[in-house]
Amino acid sequence: MPVTKVLIANRGEIAVRVIRACRDMGIATVAVYSECDRTARHVRMADEAYPIGPNPPRESYLRIDALIAVARASGADAVHPGYGFLAENEDFAAACRDAGLTFIGPSPEVIEQMGSKTAARQAAMAAGMPVVPGTTTPLGADVPDAEVRRIAESIGYPLMLKAVSGGGGKGMRVVNGPEDLSGALRAARSEAGSAFGDSAVYLERRLLRPRHIEVQLLADHHGTVIPFVERECSIQRRHQKVIEESPSLAVSPDLRRRLTSAAASVAARVGYTNAGTIECLLDEDGSFYFLEMNTRLQVEHPVTEMVSGVDLVQWQIRIARGERLTIDPEAALTPRAHAIECRIYAEDPDNQFLPSPGRILRLQAPQGPGVRDDSGATEGLAVPIFYDPMISKLIAWADDRPQAIARMRRALREYEVHGIKTTIPFFRWALDDADFLAGRFDTAFIDRTLAERGGAPFDQPAADDETLAAIAAALHLALGGGTAPAVGVTPAVSAWRQQARVEALR
Amino acid sequence: MQYALRIGGRTRQVVLRRAGQGWHVTVDGSSFDVHAAVVDGARLSLVVGDGAGAGRSVPAVVVPGREADALDVAVNGTTVAVQVASPERSRRRGGAAGDDTGPQRITAPMPGKVVRVLVAPGDTVAAKQGLVVVEAMKMENELRATRPGRVTTVAVAEGQSVDAGAVLAVVE
Repeated sequence: MPVTKVLIANRGEIAVRVIRACRDMGIATVAVYSECDRTARHVRMADEAYPIGPNPPRESYLRIDALIAVARASGADAVHPGYGFLAENEDFAAACRDAGLTFIGPSPEVIEQMGSKTAARQAAMAAGMPVVPGTTTPLGADVPDAEVRRIAESIGYPLMLKAVSGGGGKGMRVVNGPEDLSGALRAARSEAGSAFGDSAVYLERRLLRPRHIEVQLLADHHGTVIPFVERECSIQRRHQKVIEESPSLAVSPDLRRRLTSAAASVAARVGYTNAGTIECLLDEDGSFYFLEMNTRLQVEHPVTEMVSGVDLVQWQIRIARGERLTIDPEAALTPRAHAIECRIYAEDPDNQFLPSPGRILRLQAPQGPGVRDDSGATEGLAVPIFYDPMISKLIAWADDRPQAIARMRRALREYEVHGIKTTIPFFRWALDDADFLAGRFDTAFIDRTLAERGGAPFDQPAADDETLAAIAAALHLALGGGTAPAVGVTPAVSAWRQQARVEALR
Repeated sequence: MQYALRIGGRTRQVVLRRAGQGWHVTVDGSSFDVHAAVVDGARLSLVVGDGAGAGRSVPAVVVPGREADALDVAVNGTTVAVQVASPERSRRRGGAAGDDTGPQRITAPMPGKVVRVLVAPGDTVAAKQGLVVVEAMKMENELRATRPGRVTTVAVAEGQSVDAGAVLAVVE
């Protein structure tokens, strides 16, 4: 299957990431954009760019017909879906195949099978991988509360209520006891219905202090499945990963062997191809359970790339071309570094992590040894309100975990983002937490620690910082800041600010 | 030159005097010898002396803040909000002091869709209690009361689209 010109059906940092891999391989790239993304970084980086509609995702990045039309018009022979948007949509994968395009991902049949959380659980059980005790068939909107209550009693509280078509923490509720069930059921069904167009849910027993561990896989069209060293993704806020690392402190070489071979069996069992990830829960006693499979590239894939030295996006393309995997399976399971990733969001950690869209007035990413910044943002451009507010993924790696954390601290200190609030101050705090440093955490760690902080600000300047800021502000004004164009704040900056205000009020 | 700067609820008196190549700066009476160089429109490089010849390098970034006459000053990896208080302005604003009393107007921080209304007029709410859930940027954001009180107005309904700054509820 030829891959000579790739349409990237996505935006932001992941579109940039795919363009870079294509360029490394001498493959032409085609970007698509909504109205507000006309000047976005991925559009400027690609060889060609085509508009696909208005800002709301449903009218642009989720329009299968528009994307196929651009592929035809541009002469692209392959499509990379990135993550999010249509990445796990079997209709899109099938539409690409029907249009004679190579979809850089698994088959529509596997996407559909693993997209149903209950069908995925059945596949895992068939492959001999343990699953968290719970329902194996979907509970549709027609299943009465009383019936759900009876099933809940048989599994035992506390429970997790999850959307069958879910992802990203949506349509997910904790049910601590029978009194929570009706409210949680209503909320989860409504959220799942509006987010995924499918209000069916299922129940799982809630492990008390689990870690979220996942296994990255590559699988070719010749029956080879290569699992990689696990990723530790327990640092989550409201079920969304915020810090990921590899390897996990909680996984011994023996556990790694059992976990990765179980994950590879699930992929082999369903005839999986291309890049995918098996997500698991690791209980305190060392037992692991299949959670779900993500049939796409993950946000946190760079962590694995820095630990393995493998370019996962390039391999996605090579697999789509029909090439055989030539990665040494032993090397893929041997960590050659420790890597950590912080997802930097345009959110205000000192205001309940509310989105902080707006124009980025100043942006300077960290550089130097052991640091990688995968970003879709550009100084001077706005973070649109229509899409995910992640502006960058900052990755640091070194020989061991303490050195990787030290590098991440250094990189966070170098990172300059002004004009919008970001989660950088939150990461500075998290990376100093004694339990985080000792590796003592589970998936509820951040939410629990945030509650204990009781809203104490992350960005808390010391008295010395306030004095220095007063000196800087006074000198900025004295040197003409805000009035004279030559120094200080130029009129152009003020105009950006003005425009940002206008857009915020629109 | 003299500036009154409000930082963290406190006013700092900053006096600048040219001294050779640099500046002699006093902040509320404490003295510093500072060399200041403009890097670009927002970046300053300060070398702050301790009087004994040693100089501490302090890079600073100064951009406009959210309010009029406000600056966001980044130093030492932290961002400090600075309000430039001129004498005229402090007189004009004299009557508007006391942010901690009066009705709380809970507003939408960004455009979005109201997905849930958690309170009704007449409800008594605690500090930090959720009032309205607005979906924006793919996330559901719960907007909460800042202080305890009674809900007097709920200005939106579930399913309604709201603009940034729109009043969602009022708590007295």
